[in-house]
Amino acid sequence: MKTTLNYSYYPGCSLHASASEYDLSTRELFKALNIGLTEVPDWFCCGATPAHNVDELLSLSLCAKNLELAGTVEGDLAVACAACFSRLKTTQHVLTENDVKRTQVEKAIDAPVKLDGKVKHLLEILAKDLGLERLAAAVNKPLAGLKVACYYGCLLTRPTDVPNLDCVEAPTIMERVVEAAGAETVAWTHRLECCGANFTLSRPGVVIQLTNAILDSAKAAGADCIMVGCPLCHGNLDIRQKEIEGVYKTNYNMPVFYLTQLVGLAAGLSAEKLGLGAMIVNPMPLLKEKGLL
Amino acid sequence: MSRIGVFICHCGENISRTVDVERVAQEVGRLPGVAFSTDYKYMCSDPGQNLLKKAIQEQQLSHVVVAACSPRMHEKTFRKAVEAAGLNPFLCEMANIREHCSWVHENREEATIKAIEIVGMMVERVKKNRILPTITVPVTKRSLVIGGGIAGIQAALDIADCGHEVILVEREPSIGGHMAQLSETFPTLDCSQCIMTPKMVDVANHPKIKLYTYSEIEKVEGYIGNFQVTIKKRARSVDEDKCTGCGVCMTKCPQKKIPNKFDRNIGMRTAIYVPFPQAVPNTPVIDRDNCTWFKTGKCGVCQKVCGPGAVDFEQQDTLIVEAIGAIVVATGFDLYSISEKPKGSPIKGYGEFGHGKIPDVIDGMTFERLASASGPTGGKILRPSDGREPKQIVFIQCIGSRAREKGISYCSKVCCMYTAKHTMLYHHKVPGGQAYVFFMDARTPGKGYDEFWRRSIEEEEAVYIRGMVSRLYQKGDKIVVMGSDIAVGVQVEIEADMVVLATAIQPRKGADLLAQKLGISYDKYNFYSEAHAKLRPVECATAGIYLAGACQGPKDIPETVSQASAAAAKVMTLFSKDQLEREPIVARVRETGCVGCFACKKVCAYGAVEEKEIRDRQGNLIKTVAYVNPGVCGGCGTCQATCPSKSVELDGYTDEQIVAMIEAL
Repeated sequence: MKTTLNYSYYPGCSLHASASEYDLSTRELFKALNIGLTEVPDWFCCGATPAHNVDELLSLSLCAKNLELAGTVEGDLAVACAACFSRLKTTQHVLTENDVKRTQVEKAIDAPVKLDGKVKHLLEILAKDLGLERLAAAVNKPLAGLKVACYYGCLLTRPTDVPNLDCVEAPTIMERVVEAAGAETVAWTHRLECCGANFTLSRPGVVIQLTNAILDSAKAAGADCIMVGCPLCHGNLDIRQKEIEGVYKTNYNMPVFYLTQLVGLAAGLSAEKLGLGAMIVNPMPLLKEKGLL
Repeated sequence: MSRIGVFICHCGENISRTVDVERVAQEVGRLPGVAFSTDYKYMCSDPGQNLLKKAIQEQQLSHVVVAACSPRMHEKTFRKAVEAAGLNPFLCEMANIREHCSWVHENREEATIKAIEIVGMMVERVKKNRILPTITVPVTKRSLVIGGGIAGIQAALDIADCGHEVILVEREPSIGGHMAQLSETFPTLDCSQCIMTPKMVDVANHPKIKLYTYSEIEKVEGYIGNFQVTIKKRARSVDEDKCTGCGVCMTKCPQKKIPNKFDRNIGMRTAIYVPFPQAVPNTPVIDRDNCTWFKTGKCGVCQKVCGPGAVDFEQQDTLIVEAIGAIVVATGFDLYSISEKPKGSPIKGYGEFGHGKIPDVIDGMTFERLASASGPTGGKILRPSDGREPKQIVFIQCIGSRAREKGISYCSKVCCMYTAKHTMLYHHKVPGGQAYVFFMDARTPGKGYDEFWRRSIEEEEAVYIRGMVSRLYQKGDKIVVMGSDIAVGVQVEIEADMVVLATAIQPRKGADLLAQKLGISYDKYNFYSEAHAKLRPVECATAGIYLAGACQGPKDIPETVSQASAAAAKVMTLFSKDQLEREPIVARVRETGCVGCFACKKVCAYGAVEEKEIRDRQGNLIKTVAYVNPGVCGGCGTCQATCPSKSVELDGYTDEQIVAMIEAL
């Protein structure tokens, strides 16, 4: 396969910390698929979920500055985290539509705003730019027999008025990607419900309740594991799982993979390269049982 | 020499606040040709008009300029006054010194100078005005009503009872429309069939009504009083004159499992069918897509059993041309569905409700069929999936309506009331059952409506939850309804046996295509547009075409019936005269200059330009020129602007008049 695709890469804060395995698996998978990734120099926080609730100008300016930095690297901007993706897209949308806000932001960042670059989530790159056929062709260890519950959470397809990567209420892009990798997907009810996100610190009770409903629904649908594209969702579903099992006196034992980890497995990458050891709910027994290691 | 009278209006203070009206009257009085000029506080009032009439007679005025508001407001008023004083009304012009001057300026000096110039222009223009005779066109006293729902039925009966012929065209095999599908009607709970079917029979028996069912409008030509309408009568495959309506064909038809659209596809019908037992006409139609004979060439059982020999497989679609004087459009509505929409559609579906794939999530009209005594369940509320009686039922309002994110921002108007009715019907039919309603606001502006809604809560035990539903999903044999109760500020989850969605009212599919055939305007949703939202609510901007019912916007039955009777009254007003008078502001062709390029014909939006042959005395063709039919011409002036040889002129707006106005500046 010849290298035709090159992207600038915005990992976001989580991928340099709690979700380092998402970062690792993204880099390894793209290397395996011959897709170029160049990290945006000197990038910083996008403001994520708190900033825009506190100060809109601040949140827009943070993203505008990051977009400006991204413009210094060749290629569309690849984003892994759902929250970063949502914020960067929203900023582009708001600043395109609203001249007053654009002027304010330009004053704040002391530079003209660049809105012509495309912001793409990894899913879009795999499903559309690379294409499902080429993705399927790169699979040498199909995830045969693995039943995956694709979990979108809130931010991958939202807000509704921002042009997005898939249908807001009935998206299929995750299913299409992981099916191209040879897995089965399950039809389940909670793939778009909120996990509680960053309330995990301030209102853990709420998060435990919401996340339990998601795990319960995935299990009821017969899923072996959950696939996510957001570090925050991952945190709640994976890290809190043991605690939830205790609260609700149940047993899920449901590994939670990043999409790059599952697609990476199918592309023949090793468990070390995909950071599978960093997962709290140990996926090894499941992968061994399915003959995927 | 013209003796022009100029009358400057103060419009209370609307004009005189900014414009020095006395100075305008003085200055304009000095213009050549002006014989009289004065100002008055309210020119449009009775004393104002008398002042104008008196001046015309005493001063022997030849032309009149009234400097006041926009001609859209009062041109008719002043022309009538001028006519009453014995002058041709088209020798009166209005100078707009209100909207074009006093309302938009602040500086009194500048506004006054501008007003003088505006009046001066109109003085020069009116000098060139010609006497225009009123145009009369004959009226065919016969009307077409499109759509045989309650709106079309009411309009047809009213017009026919007045003694005029009516052609009623209905697309479906039977008249009745949506009202025939309803179970009971708010706010009195009388049975819809009981009040509807007698009217349907009246239509069928009325000597002045000619009914075309299973028919559609193919083409509309002509203009007010003189339409030619081509109707396509689809092949019914049953001879209406021979059929006695005995129904043997239907009992013998082997195709018995075709979902009946009338029953919202819950009940089944045969391939030769009437949509419901009380259909009018009671003549079956063969659904050729599902008939064994038409699919395989074998069977023909219906033909064999038909005593009178009415079944005719060879029948063809026929085209019928009718001469019509006025048209009432009453095409009604379709219901929004939550199913997935094509990519790029401005209207979106409800993916969060499973795009309509959960069997026991139904819409309001399906609930009507379940509740109807003549419906597929005989009036029992049963789940489509397993035929069980739902013990917990959730009604959700505003589905598609008031949902900008789904592409529809309007309120569908009837859902609050019919949902309240549904909770009552449910409470009566399912003892021990519990109904919940998710709603945004209860909109009950109608006689007895709010009382009815309160009754559903206070006496019929419906639990109303203010808030919307974010998701529906199937869990076992239950449907989980996830919503919010914003009064309490909590998330709620209800495990329901059945969910009923109050889906939005949309115009009929293809409403835009019919509008294009009729030449009437429609809004972005394809609802037909009335000529004026308040003062001309049943007339189209296109003369001779009137609107009734939900094709113009969501409406309940009382409102639809009122509008239908109003449209009928408008038709009867038109038919009260033998000749129709119209404004003579029409285009005329100067035949000597016309080279017959017909550029005017191409741009005419009204289809008013015809080809006219000019022959010498021996009958040899000299040339073909354009002719503008004054009955059809809309007076827009597009042909005048287009004509390369300057051979078309719009009466009242000639080039000479416009140039005179410019030169006066």
